[in-house]
Amino acid sequence: MSRKRLGTAATETADTGNTFLGDVRVNVERWTRKSVHNPTAFFLEIVVATFSLVLFTAVFGDVGALALERAGFADVNYITYLLPAVLMQATMGSAFSSGMGLVRDLESGMFEKTVVTPMSWTAVLVGKSLAELARIVVQLLAVVGLAVAMGATIETGVVGVVGILGVCLLVGLLFMSVSNVVGLLARDEEVINAATMLFMFPLLFLSPAFIPMSADVETIATVNPITYGVDAVRALVLGEDVMTVLSVTYYDGIANTVVPAVAVLVALNVVVGAIAVRLLARASSANAD
Amino acid sequence: MPTTEPRTDHAEAESTGTSTDRPHSIDVEGLALTYSDGTQAVEDVTLSVPAGEFFGFLGPNGAGKTTTIKVFATLLEPTGGRVEVNGHHVTEARTAVRASIGYMAQETSIDEELTARENLAFACDAYGVGRANRTQRIDELLDLVDLADVADTPAGNFSGGMKKRLDAATALVHDPDLVFLDEPTTGLDPKARNRLWDYFRRINEQGTTVFLTTQYLEEADQLCDRLAVIRNGRIVEDGSPDELKRRVGGEVLELELDGSGARADSQGATGESAAAVLRDAAALDDCGSVEATEGTVRVTAPDAGERGPDLLLALRDAGISVTGFDVAEPTLDDVFLAIADESVDPLAAADGQPGTEDDDTSQPQQAVDV
Repeated sequence: MSRKRLGTAATETADTGNTFLGDVRVNVERWTRKSVHNPTAFFLEIVVATFSLVLFTAVFGDVGALALERAGFADVNYITYLLPAVLMQATMGSAFSSGMGLVRDLESGMFEKTVVTPMSWTAVLVGKSLAELARIVVQLLAVVGLAVAMGATIETGVVGVVGILGVCLLVGLLFMSVSNVVGLLARDEEVINAATMLFMFPLLFLSPAFIPMSADVETIATVNPITYGVDAVRALVLGEDVMTVLSVTYYDGIANTVVPAVAVLVALNVVVGAIAVRLLARASSANAD
Repeated sequence: MPTTEPRTDHAEAESTGTSTDRPHSIDVEGLALTYSDGTQAVEDVTLSVPAGEFFGFLGPNGAGKTTTIKVFATLLEPTGGRVEVNGHHVTEARTAVRASIGYMAQETSIDEELTARENLAFACDAYGVGRANRTQRIDELLDLVDLADVADTPAGNFSGGMKKRLDAATALVHDPDLVFLDEPTTGLDPKARNRLWDYFRRINEQGTTVFLTTQYLEEADQLCDRLAVIRNGRIVEDGSPDELKRRVGGEVLELELDGSGARADSQGATGESAAAVLRDAAALDDCGSVEATEGTVRVTAPDAGERGPDLLLALRDAGISVTGFDVAEPTLDDVFLAIADESVDPLAAADGQPGTEDDDTSQPQQAVDV
């Protein structure tokens, strides 16, 4: 039996040509290519955010203005007040596609196929997450651009936008973890679809996202991660301390909102992220269970 | 004799020699795997596959084929025994094993959102194939599996056979020493299956060891140098296809019965009584068997042909008329039925269609008329 090499590449692979960063890049590339080839969901998520900006302004505009005046935001136009809510909505919607990608990989066998390669499993996960975070950034920039075109103002300028993106990515990462946990437990795209709605609307409405909160809502809003995301983004949009559920006066102005909100989001990410990583590690492990 | 390039663990040796210099691709002793719910998927598998062999792994559903292959591919940790693949321990040197094997899962595993070329590029990157040779390597593989003209089409648009071929190609980007094919042709039409067979033969001729599981005995017969049959988590037979046929199958004497006789209330009943007569008359040893199906009785024994006249007489004495007979060389199906699938009850098969075909002329059997 004779052996003819198909290529010369083989000799390099016995000790594997893999590096951690290389493995990350491979997976960023794979997931980015997938979004580029199938951009429908990507654009639909931007369209939905645009609809929200237009619809909520049209429907809540007048009521919103009254509520804003009563809550001490008399000089803020409604679309500016609304922008953080729509950014949260876009972030959550996009983040849930992470779990969808995972379930599709589990169903198509690509998950197992990836496990059986010599790639570092951590690198696979980091690569996929980075591609998804990059996707969210592009969508958020489009939404911010549209909102500004429609009359919203961001008081803190370009630096503020960077901060806004940072806060949104923390929220995005949190819900990416949530959607991966749901995906691993249910292993069903339909369930993730349903979970997106289940999380998105109650969490948005039980927060100061659309209009300033009543006292009843405020109690619930304290344990709602979206409250912290909305408050932090709004502080950066308006350039002032707008924290609704915690009263921090240790810092000056914006930081009184942003620092505690970011701390809460980071803590939640650590907890939920640990659960997601644990479940993912178990799904990819070779234990016979 | 063409030059050969023996594969060693480190692939550093470019010496000339024969393929027998290569270590065993698979070396397994007492492999056991019990799931945490107590299910014993594999009880005791001991086998070794020399480098360069085309090895077939057969068995009925649930016998432990896929579990075994997943242990070899590092996807499941064995709960007992020693498993070495390409000289590496599957649990202690997992990455080394992964880098040295190709694995084609039972379900077609490709990314349908990516093109054929992109799927191969991802696989190249995942297996650390050097960038310098990547483009050439991808083109070679696309040619090998006949997908060059649709290289830039998303794989989701492919037919089942094309997807399988792409899947097989992605398992080979790194030119592995050993490739696992888990029921690679299930669900394909015969034409697509033949193309894949050609392809598997080609990669084996190029020196890759192939470990194939299949339900199609014709596939095993066509492709494999050697086979092992697994049943209830244990290997019950192994050898070349011809050896297995000789050892287990023997010759097959098929007798076509006249079902219209007075004794017959149905074909099945005739078959049963004929089978009973034959069992008494033939006094078969362990590897012989008598099977009754509708209107026919099959006697499997190493000397079934020789015994034919005696058996015909015995049937005549019992008042059962024989309308045709045929002596056939065993096929792997016979081997499989005899050793792997004891649960199939030939009488139950006959009961499956009670009295539907009373007129045996309407159901011609492949037999020579007497």
